[in-house]
Amino acid sequence: MQVQNPNPMTQSVPPEQCPLCAQPVPGGNRIVGEVLSCDGCSAELEVVGVNPLRLEEAPEVEEDWGE
Amino acid sequence: MRKVDLVYTRVRTEEKLLLEALRRRDCAVNLVQDTGMVLSMDRQRVTEADTVLMRSMSFTRARYLATFLEMKGLRVLNSARTISLCGDKALTSAALAAKGVPMPWSFVAFDEDACLEAIEQKGYPVVTKPVLGSWGRMVARLDSRTAAEGVLSTRFGTGGAQDHVALVQEYVDKPGYDLRVYVVGRAVGGLRRRSEHWITNTARGAVPERYEVPVVHARLAEAAAEAVGGDMVAVDLLETRGGDIYVNEINHCVEFARSIDETGVPLPDLIAEYVASGAGARR
Repeated sequence: MQVQNPNPMTQSVPPEQCPLCAQPVPGGNRIVGEVLSCDGCSAELEVVGVNPLRLEEAPEVEEDWGE
Repeated sequence: MRKVDLVYTRVRTEEKLLLEALRRRDCAVNLVQDTGMVLSMDRQRVTEADTVLMRSMSFTRARYLATFLEMKGLRVLNSARTISLCGDKALTSAALAAKGVPMPWSFVAFDEDACLEAIEQKGYPVVTKPVLGSWGRMVARLDSRTAAEGVLSTRFGTGGAQDHVALVQEYVDKPGYDLRVYVVGRAVGGLRRRSEHWITNTARGAVPERYEVPVVHARLAEAAAEAVGGDMVAVDLLETRGGDIYVNEINHCVEFARSIDETGVPLPDLIAEYVASGAGARR
């Protein structure tokens, strides 16, 4: 399938810091789009890149998101 | 070995559990984030997979992607038809009505004055909700003409054409909970959602409880799933204080992270088993 990021999985990603509170976030096997909870500030974080691991505060719910 | 593309927006607890369950069944799973997908308008194959498990959280993307992927010959779960019907509450109601599935009375209106007049004829209270939307957002109970005028003024005075569709529904006086039946090919279990608020959605704080699904509820949920061609859906039921039971909504991208511990229904394994079996879709 034609995608911009055809291989969103990775191995052995080094840890990164929470962009909000700088608490270390474990690396390991991460996936672009994965949602994490920061142990330091409980913020919902989204993996936006791997190799290197990049984290952003998870965006607010979009208008047409749901079940 | 079945090859599966799991299309997602975010890898939430649900998607992680589904991924593990599919791999336990020797499925080769390729994760595809919906934001990066580009699909040509032709029948050219775009993937080695034979099945797509559609877990996009976006109704717009899920509906289009499922349509295009089916056009390219793929088995998509749920199907584009199911997603289109379940994602639009007016179309859900029409599909249920067409099959005679019991549901609260409802109507759609496209004009503020016409809608208000129809509500006045029905009497209060009534419920109005946007035809597109989820998690209980913008659902309103109207107890009086004054409340109706305020809500309808906002609905018809803002937004675009798609927002100017009012779905009005009978207010069902529930006994403090609603019910959800999971259908994965057949009714496989359920959930009771208890709340002191009249909106009983776990995304809005309702407390999930275990619920042994009686046969009559199971058959009703299966009839509702059949009405929308759903392979794996969550059917929301409303029980009246008098014991009548109605189908309220049907959800095509089932969430279970907040409730799986309480319900004990092994949805990831049931869904993965259904995907691996080759059943369903292409209806």
